[in-house]
Amino acid sequence: MPKTILIVDDEEDVRESVKTILQSNGYTVETAVDGDDCLNKVQERRPDLILLDIMMPGTPVVEILKQIQDIKIAFMSVVRISDARKRGLCSQSNIVDFFQKPFNVSDLVDRVEFILNK
Amino acid sequence: MDTKKYSLKNLIFSKINRKLSFLVIGALMAPALGIYLFYYVLSMSFPSGVFSEQAALLRTTAVFIIIIISIVNAGIIGFFVTRSISKPIKELHKATIELEKGNYDIRLDIKTDDEISELGNAFNLTTAALGRLEKERKEIDNAKTEFLSITSHELRSPMTPMKAQLQMLQEGYFGKLNKKQKESLEIITRNSDRLDNIIVDFLEISRIEAARLKFNFKETDISEIVDETIKFMDGFAKEKNIKLVVNIEKLPVIDVDPDRLSQVLRNLINNAIKFSQENSKIEIDAKLNGEYILFSVRDYGCGLSCDNQIRIFEPFYQVESSSRRKHGGTGLGLAICRGIVEAQKGKIWVESKEGKGSKFSFTVPLAPIRKIEPIKVLFSSKKLIEKKICEEFKSILGPLGNSEFDELKNKNALGKEDLFDYIDSLTDLHIIPQKKGEYFKNSVGEIFGEEKTVINKNDDTNYNSLEDEVLVRN
Repeated sequence: MPKTILIVDDEEDVRESVKTILQSNGYTVETAVDGDDCLNKVQERRPDLILLDIMMPGTPVVEILKQIQDIKIAFMSVVRISDARKRGLCSQSNIVDFFQKPFNVSDLVDRVEFILNK
Repeated sequence: MDTKKYSLKNLIFSKINRKLSFLVIGALMAPALGIYLFYYVLSMSFPSGVFSEQAALLRTTAVFIIIIISIVNAGIIGFFVTRSISKPIKELHKATIELEKGNYDIRLDIKTDDEISELGNAFNLTTAALGRLEKERKEIDNAKTEFLSITSHELRSPMTPMKAQLQMLQEGYFGKLNKKQKESLEIITRNSDRLDNIIVDFLEISRIEAARLKFNFKETDISEIVDETIKFMDGFAKEKNIKLVVNIEKLPVIDVDPDRLSQVLRNLINNAIKFSQENSKIEIDAKLNGEYILFSVRDYGCGLSCDNQIRIFEPFYQVESSSRRKHGGTGLGLAICRGIVEAQKGKIWVESKEGKGSKFSFTVPLAPIRKIEPIKVLFSSKKLIEKKICEEFKSILGPLGNSEFDELKNKNALGKEDLFDYIDSLTDLHIIPQKKGEYFKNSVGEIFGEEKTVINKNDDTNYNSLEDEVLVRN
């Protein structure tokens, strides 16, 4: 049974790129365009991992984090991890990784595999 | 405001003089009145021509009383004069000093209703105008920094899908590629990497300008950081068979941001490698120097001309337009180094001789400066240096200095060597005395970043200027 990954990003090109990469590597991929969409998709599909952009319109990330405590989340962001830490976003225990945009494709694949096999 | 004519009439009838004359008249009138009263009483009490001992005594007493009245009078006058003139002037003076310190909120409240209170009002209006200008300047400055920061972020976001798709193509996600396609993709990738590096450097500069540069201070063993950095750079040096020679004194453990320190060192070593010939060496030194640790990176590469030495820390300044293509890089590295070093109240400078190599040095304070201040890295240091030189000219040569400076500028002879030749010619022609000429040279040298008079007070003996060093070696 392939693992399901939910990609949450307001930029279509990023969503589609990551979707293609992960699908080619055998994962089932869902996408969401903003925070609200993300919460709905989580209810529907119960993904194994969420790749979450920190800066998005709609429900703020802090709210999303409050509501999702039991699914692994990896951030994807143009801001640096130190900025994310400063905003208090990295304290939750289900946050497992931080992908700095622009990310490296093979690196992304390796790290996602590592997270899901843990 | 209406401007008054400075006629004699206006001077005599100015409010402040009117006030003063009232006081003076009052002061003269009181004793005069007293004397008049005394003689009036005296003539009433004693018939004329009779002079008794009593009368003499009375007269002496009266004189004393009059003197006392005069003194009290003088005191009262003094009080009023102080209140209406000295005190407001003192207030004005205090306010001016505050204004000079940059307190644009200062306002005067002088209620003397004379020329001084008018002056106070004018001062208030001027201060308010200055305050508005300063506020505007700050707003523009913030807007510029904000713009730089937002633009960089906005530029960076399209990089993400672009790079992802490129890598997917290269890694065969969409099928096998032929040789030409691969080459084309390599060129696109290389240039998108370069673009991304420029954007990252832009972001860094916007942080430096907004004093948002982050420092994570922790107790650090300097030699460890230097060793790590050298190990990291050694791979690049080996490509050109360059030897990295490290010479670190025993240094105390200090509070510093190791990543930032390493960033500056990496940048300088990277530059040194870029501009060195193959099979040469690069010397990296670190030593204690008073309140600072002095780092230096010395190469035996192509060196820099005087003009380039001034401008090397400017953003996007590269020695020749061709060197950018040849050596790569964003042209922002040294500007960022300067920002990082100066944000910690350190200094960075270069000594160099064309064809002989360069030595970049910077200092890191032993006690960390935690209050990071904004640094204007985007300003042209050339203009700043020209301004300083012009001021030096004016202070040595008087009003003549301005035209002399302009002439040299037009001849494009504002390099260090040119200026020294010029000063020599001044002393040779006895236009300025020998001593003054030397002083002039010293000041000019300092402007060009000859920091050793400032920083290396303690070890002038073992710190030769690069020029001497090079001559010794050859």
